[in-house]
Amino acid sequence: MDAQLTTASRLLDAHGFLDRVIAELRVLQSPQKDTLVSVLQYLSDHIRTTRSEIGALRQGGNQPLFGNTADELEEIITETARAAGSIMDAAEAIESVAATLEPPANGALMEAVTKIYEASAFQDITGQRITKVVGVLLSLEVKLASLTEAFGSLPEPLGASPQGDEALLNGPQLMKNASSQSDIDALFETLS
Amino acid sequence: MSLNKNMRVVIVDDYTTMLRILRNLLRQLELENVEEANDGDTAFHLMQKNPPDLIISDWNMAPVTGLDLLRKVRADARLRHIPFIMVTAESKTENVIAAKQAGVSNYIVKPFNADTLRAKIASVCGVTA
Repeated sequence: MDAQLTTASRLLDAHGFLDRVIAELRVLQSPQKDTLVSVLQYLSDHIRTTRSEIGALRQGGNQPLFGNTADELEEIITETARAAGSIMDAAEAIESVAATLEPPANGALMEAVTKIYEASAFQDITGQRITKVVGVLLSLEVKLASLTEAFGSLPEPLGASPQGDEALLNGPQLMKNASSQSDIDALFETLS
Repeated sequence: MSLNKNMRVVIVDDYTTMLRILRNLLRQLELENVEEANDGDTAFHLMQKNPPDLIISDWNMAPVTGLDLLRKVRADARLRHIPFIMVTAESKTENVIAAKQAGVSNYIVKPFNADTLRAKIASVCGVTA
């Protein structure tokens, strides 16, 4: 961390020094200065733009760069597992009824049940893919956090937090934060 | 020749849904003597206590992967002869090669269907599907 702060501080010093050099060069009367000033100005602008773009990547405060994205993805795995479980419950119930029927009805039902079992593998496949994406996100977050540290204090991101009605559009809540129907009913009751 | 309905099968996968799919499809093949494990380590201990007749395992599990499990099985004098089918979403050529080199009996790529499972089991057990 100390090394990162030192790097950040050096970068800020260097940028300040660069701006001072540009200012001093501008007042010189030498005709050869213009190319050098242009190059230095380009470098200075480039550093400023980069810092601003990295600053815009932040969510604000000390929040993780990707907010709850990883948790949201993990929850997809949980939800699909639950859905797949319910599908399998239903398929197993159909299978046991099918076993009591005569051909060709039982054969047709068993074939359909087999197809349901096969299709339920979607949960495993999507789960593995999402787990992979979560890993990439977490690794990106660590790299971006390190880059942010290296650039020291950054400008506040513009328009990072939605306002008004837009701020109410958050999609499904994570299970750990979600209110139950009885919580909602109780709240509703207190509001009416 | 048909499948021995009494054969003991160990299925290994870290996804409960997949274990359930495998168990149900095996039941449709009248293979009901099935034991489940959620990871390679648990599966290996299960097999050491009571060697099965067939192993069907996922690859991508932690901390002991399906490939680790396969190597452990092939290195164990009591277990090395048991047919081992890898059922996995890992479908790169190098995966199949690595599994083959480790001694896998057959390889099924997820998602799979009941016919494929039936055919591969029949193949590794030396019977006609």
